[in-house]
Amino acid sequence: MHEMALMGEIVQLIEQDAQMKKIKYVKKVELLVGTLSNVLPDALQFAFDVYKMQANNCLTMNAELIIHIEKAKAVCAICGSQYEPVTKIAQCPACLLPSGNIVAGETFRILAYEGSLTHENYIGS
Amino acid sequence: MKITLEVDVLTNNNRAAAFNRQLFEETNTLVINIMSSPGAGKTTILEKTIEALANEFRIGVIEGDLATEKDADRIRALGAQAVQINTHGGCHLDARMIAAVLPQFDFQHLDILFIENVGNLVCPSGYDLGQQHKVAVLSVPEGNDKIPKYPTMFMRTELVLLNKIDLLPYLDFDVEQAKEDLSCIHPQSKLLPLSAKTGEGMDEWLHWIREGVARCKKQSISQ
Repeated sequence: MHEMALMGEIVQLIEQDAQMKKIKYVKKVELLVGTLSNVLPDALQFAFDVYKMQANNCLTMNAELIIHIEKAKAVCAICGSQYEPVTKIAQCPACLLPSGNIVAGETFRILAYEGSLTHENYIGS
Repeated sequence: MKITLEVDVLTNNNRAAAFNRQLFEETNTLVINIMSSPGAGKTTILEKTIEALANEFRIGVIEGDLATEKDADRIRALGAQAVQINTHGGCHLDARMIAAVLPQFDFQHLDILFIENVGNLVCPSGYDLGQQHKVAVLSVPEGNDKIPKYPTMFMRTELVLLNKIDLLPYLDFDVEQAKEDLSCIHPQSKLLPLSAKTGEGMDEWLHWIREGVARCKKQSISQ
């Protein structure tokens, strides 16, 4: 989709939080990305690397991006069976109808980040 | 040190969307976010809509494009207020861009605000702008396979305007197949065939808008 813009949102949200906690350097970011969230992990990694190269944000040059994948899950509204849909049009393997309500797989969240208050801390680690 | 954040990536956008939505509701303004591929006919539909409704409603338009004031100029030529947002390469409008231009409108004297999104069948679908209604425009020359090929857009729009039906005799667009595909992806959504050029089918679209305005005003009376 538009992973550069989305990474901009991620960096902004982390910076907002880091500023309140007086954290200056961010060296690790953990995300949870659902397989149906329309976000490509490879493109996110590329966008993260681009942001790292820019000096005007909190990410350090060797910052790490960890992407946890959330598997898709749907529950069929007709027969109640649970299954892993491949697309957002969640066709039930038993009923063969697009009758699934998606209950997992659309998440796109920042879980956590790791940072330090001073420059020295992260160079030493 | 590790900080647990647990926030949705679109948190800031959704916050701005909630701010916009509150303003629209408080001022009883009908706000419609119109999305499509480039060239589907969003601006032409808006021109014809404004011409038809100018005596009934006070209409404003926000135009989203990468560059130029071309679309806003077309709307202004009809006497309606238009504000152009240039995204300078950005592939969609977000709620903060909308919030930034809202002070340019006088919401006490506005019935309808149309937001014409950047021409793109993918990215705009992911951003809530605070609108009450999302409408997609699909045009006959694009082909009827676009609905299953771009499901994220058509899963989120309650109305699909099928534009340029005056070209149906010349092209292989299967309207029944498009209706079937849409009902499969989004059963509550409706396909409305029309031609902004000839005016065919426009009455139903105008009726849908009038109902929307009436709902907004009714809410204000009941409050």
